[in-house]
Amino acid sequence: MGLPVETGRARSVMALRAALICLAIMCPIAVGSMQRASSPAPAASAAQGAVTARVVAAANAFLATLSPDERAKGTFGFTSSQRTGWSNLPTGAFQRNGLRFGDMTSRQREAALALIAAALSREGYQKVTNIMNGDEVLKNARGGRTGGRPGAPGPGGAGGRGGGVRFGLDEYYIALLGTPSARDPWMIQFGGHHLAINVTVVGPNNVMTPSLPAAQPAKYTLNGQTIRPLGRENDKGFALINALGAAQQKQAVLAYQVTDLVLGPGADGKVIQPEGILASALDASQQGLLLDVVHEWVGILNDEAAAAKMAEIKANLPRTYFAWSGSTQNGGLAYYRIQGPTLVIEYAPQQGDLDHIHTIYRDPTNDYGAKLVTP
Amino acid sequence: MTVRSLSMSLAVLGVCLATAAPARAHRLDEYLQATRLSIDVERVSLEIDLTPGVAVAPEVFAWIDTNRDSQISAAEAEAYARQMLHSVALSVDDRTLPITLVEVDVPQFREMSLGVGSIRVRATASMPATDSGHHRISYLNTHRSESSVYLVNALVPADPRIQLGGQQRDYAQHGLRVEYTVIGDASWARTCSALIGLVMAGMLVFTRWPGIKQGFQPSSLSP
Repeated sequence: MGLPVETGRARSVMALRAALICLAIMCPIAVGSMQRASSPAPAASAAQGAVTARVVAAANAFLATLSPDERAKGTFGFTSSQRTGWSNLPTGAFQRNGLRFGDMTSRQREAALALIAAALSREGYQKVTNIMNGDEVLKNARGGRTGGRPGAPGPGGAGGRGGGVRFGLDEYYIALLGTPSARDPWMIQFGGHHLAINVTVVGPNNVMTPSLPAAQPAKYTLNGQTIRPLGRENDKGFALINALGAAQQKQAVLAYQVTDLVLGPGADGKVIQPEGILASALDASQQGLLLDVVHEWVGILNDEAAAAKMAEIKANLPRTYFAWSGSTQNGGLAYYRIQGPTLVIEYAPQQGDLDHIHTIYRDPTNDYGAKLVTP
Repeated sequence: MTVRSLSMSLAVLGVCLATAAPARAHRLDEYLQATRLSIDVERVSLEIDLTPGVAVAPEVFAWIDTNRDSQISAAEAEAYARQMLHSVALSVDDRTLPITLVEVDVPQFREMSLGVGSIRVRATASMPATDSGHHRISYLNTHRSESSVYLVNALVPADPRIQLGGQQRDYAQHGLRVEYTVIGDASWARTCSALIGLVMAGMLVFTRWPGIKQGFQPSSLSP
């Protein structure tokens, strides 16, 4: 008579035991996972590995053009403070470390540019050179130097060469952090006035956050061609805001002016509360326009790495915000921000000047490849 | 375009400047005051970066260099920061919070004169004991409003117990009002989870221990 009861008891004990084991294992895991970042490092493809091999080869070719002294000046430890030592400011206002283009031979310059070209996409490289050319235009428009009130003391000291800030192609710097490797982390740091490109390479993964592409003038003529280094960023932004319906615009447009970047240089690790309209409130066509805007920054990096990053951003689209401040008429003054779990983009005209644009591109979870580098 | 041809275009540039507008490289006649608020259960931290434009830098420097020796002493920097913070009002649920200066860093005049040097003010305010539930923080900065532009933003709280809600600003961003909610204590949740795990582990041991296990034998349940 007791057998069925006894068997039931035994089964209950077994079931209880199994449940306890599961709960004991799962409970801390579940709680722990809620405390951690939600986005794991993306998996890399074989094509990305091939890109890394190409970038490593270009980096080694550049290093081969340098003397021992130049190598010492242009290379740093991967974890050195140099990693965060970038700026959008011109020489004289900010002293960069690394090798200055104006001090390089033409062979060294070409090898340095070949390295930048290997790391970036064709369009990205063109954008970078358009920004640099714009600074040369700025230099010539200002007679080579500027800054400070009349009679103000020049920078001197560590900043340099006296007499205000300096613009132009000679004032771009390149530095390598760590040893170029297809396996171990290293970094390319390239920049000058209105440009900071930070490419961290970790195995097959290439990461380009944080980076700061900017432009002044925003429009100039070179060899008979009109160049707008950040023209697509402007036009696509306006196309997106104007593709929104009235109710959507009401959510997207901030009721206050934004006069500068919120998360510019020096704001590493900061995450502001997002605002604007969620991409989940956009239709498929509008989401496509949003992704097209985002690609203007993500697509500066080589195609393979950019494709992986875009896939990640697309997956996070329901949690991505688009915020706008200012005129919605193209040609007017406007600021915009796109912010998602792994993305911050800001586009900010400076001081009401449409001819002077600053932008920033960040990944709060993976700036400098933080997600990929084992501490 | 090849790398070489791009290099060439970089090298030969400088002849086509027809459309280059008169350039303004940096902030000129504005005093940019950018604030980030970090909200915690026990305090609010303020990161305030003050960047005078080229045209206003001498005036700002003069505000700080009160003894006119062209140097900013630690005492002058601190005095200016305190004066600046007197123009800042902070409250939680309409209760004013006293603000304490933590540190101030003033750049050299050379940097300020180029329109790129930022005065960094760091301050904090202790929160009154707040219950879980809905709260509101208000921040207002009226320092030197005649020549200033403002940015103010709330950082995503590091403490998972705090969730920010709606934000409201005036057009010029003098002020920010942030709604937020204090939810259950995350550390309590972690402790609770650990305790539950321990209890479960104890019960597992109990069920597997032969002496005790005997008590669960079907035979012992028989009358």
